[in-house]
Amino acid sequence: MRKYVLLLVLVLSYLAIISSFTSHMKNRPFLERMGYTPEPLVLKFFSADQYRLSAAFLIVKVISYYGSLVEQYQNKIYIPPEYPEMGKTIETAVKLDPYNMDSYYFAQAIMIWGASQVKSTNELLEYGMQYRTWDFYLAYFAGFNYAFFLKDYANAAKYYKRVGELTGADLPMNLAGRYMYESGRTDLAVAYLSSMVKSSTNDAVKKSLQTRLDAFQGVGKIEQACTSFLNDRHRRPRSVEELVQKGYLEKVPVDPYGGTYYLDKQGKVRSTSKFAYGVASAARERTSPFNTNDSRLSH
Amino acid sequence: MRQFIFITVQGIFRDRVFKGIAIFAFIFLLIPSVSSLSMRQVVELSLTLSLSLISLMLLLLSLFLGGSSLWKDIERRYTYSVLSLPITRTKYLLSKFFGIVACLVLGTVSCLVVRYVAWMYPPLRPVVWPNVFLSIFFIALKYILLVAFAFLLSTFSTSFFLPIFGTVAIFFAGSATQQVYDFLQSQSAFGYSPLLKKGANALYYVLPNFSAFDLTANAIYGVGLSYSGLVLTLGYFIVYTAIVLTLAAIVFSRREMQ
Repeated sequence: MRKYVLLLVLVLSYLAIISSFTSHMKNRPFLERMGYTPEPLVLKFFSADQYRLSAAFLIVKVISYYGSLVEQYQNKIYIPPEYPEMGKTIETAVKLDPYNMDSYYFAQAIMIWGASQVKSTNELLEYGMQYRTWDFYLAYFAGFNYAFFLKDYANAAKYYKRVGELTGADLPMNLAGRYMYESGRTDLAVAYLSSMVKSSTNDAVKKSLQTRLDAFQGVGKIEQACTSFLNDRHRRPRSVEELVQKGYLEKVPVDPYGGTYYLDKQGKVRSTSKFAYGVASAARERTSPFNTNDSRLSH
Repeated sequence: MRQFIFITVQGIFRDRVFKGIAIFAFIFLLIPSVSSLSMRQVVELSLTLSLSLISLMLLLLSLFLGGSSLWKDIERRYTYSVLSLPITRTKYLLSKFFGIVACLVLGTVSCLVVRYVAWMYPPLRPVVWPNVFLSIFFIALKYILLVAFAFLLSTFSTSFFLPIFGTVAIFFAGSATQQVYDFLQSQSAFGYSPLLKKGANALYYVLPNFSAFDLTANAIYGVGLSYSGLVLTLGYFIVYTAIVLTLAAIVFSRREMQ
């Protein structure tokens, strides 16, 4: 009988502790959650013939970590992602299995927007192109990065040409040319993000991309209104509100990152959120823990 | 000899260790749902998991069957009564070896799993089934070679530890030899002592090279195969396994049985 009572007490103690324990485990920093990731060479040796499985495991861990952050954002809890650590883990996964598309996709869909990792992401993509020789996506990503982030149109054209060669169509080249030289970078980003959202199967990544796409579409609307305003009145609008007052915008678009759109001194569209979660609310409280300079949407 | 192979297979199926390892096969059922965690390569991940599971099961079978089969027979003095029959030691050794080899030939279940996932998530590139089958075939060859090593170690060992841990060591070393060799040939190894390089090179030729049996990139990502390379690997497998088995037969014939 005593044993049963003891067992009952222990089970109840377990139930009492498990909720806090789970929450503690869930909120641990990236390094603690991921554990130490050994050097790729060491990991490859100990993985023996299971090295592709190790790579897939590392990627799934990063995705689930990022997924839990997106979940928190929806509950208005902003925890900045640990981009450098995530980047290191993704790099290790690529070294273990350079064919695994998930690594490149994650780096391109998530890392590049928040971690100022354009150069390293491009290096990763170029490394992947040596292996995934049939895959036009890697060239498409690299082309976008060169055009949008680095404004290096010569290199962008080189990669879009490769996309054309791999897909057997001239369309990507033409599209790239049109986006880069006629419509501007916001349209390029909207087209790119729309295709990424459509092809994404992971909920967290899809939500993250959709948010950025919404933000870009907001910027696009304001830019369009600015252009019409300038054509009609031969001067730049003073503010986004002026565009609404004069009937060029129906209403001020909502920044999905919680900020407010405004026009800077050069007339460029920017947001108080800097297009990152938590920045706007932190700025309101004047205690910004992010201090991010990420304003890639504002150009 | 056929009878002995058959008896060995029967014995293995009755073995608890085999049953325990066979339970692992139920993990195949989880592969479709685990694969959906991937963002861009669900089918590829299911193939990775299937091949990994096959490989892991074969490794465990090779270690526990290959490492313990002969040793257990000697320990239980079963060998003595068998050897009193008109059968040579070499034939006895080979029939045990081929009995285990017969049990290692698994893998069709995994293909069904991949088939199921491929139907649910059409991949960017269609699955190249001949590559998948060849990959499974070469994984099996790799573990047959490993079993040969387990037998060689069993022939002169008086305990359970050497065949098991020795085989584990050979498995890790064999998986890394090509990697180490490539590294030592590269610019990064410029500062290393020539003696170390020569030693590592010698080991490269003596130890088995399991990287040659790794066709996972070809199976998972549909990368083209080099058929001449496959023929060479097959030749390498036949010659190397024959050498190891011959050594095992020599040692076993000379072993004193009391």
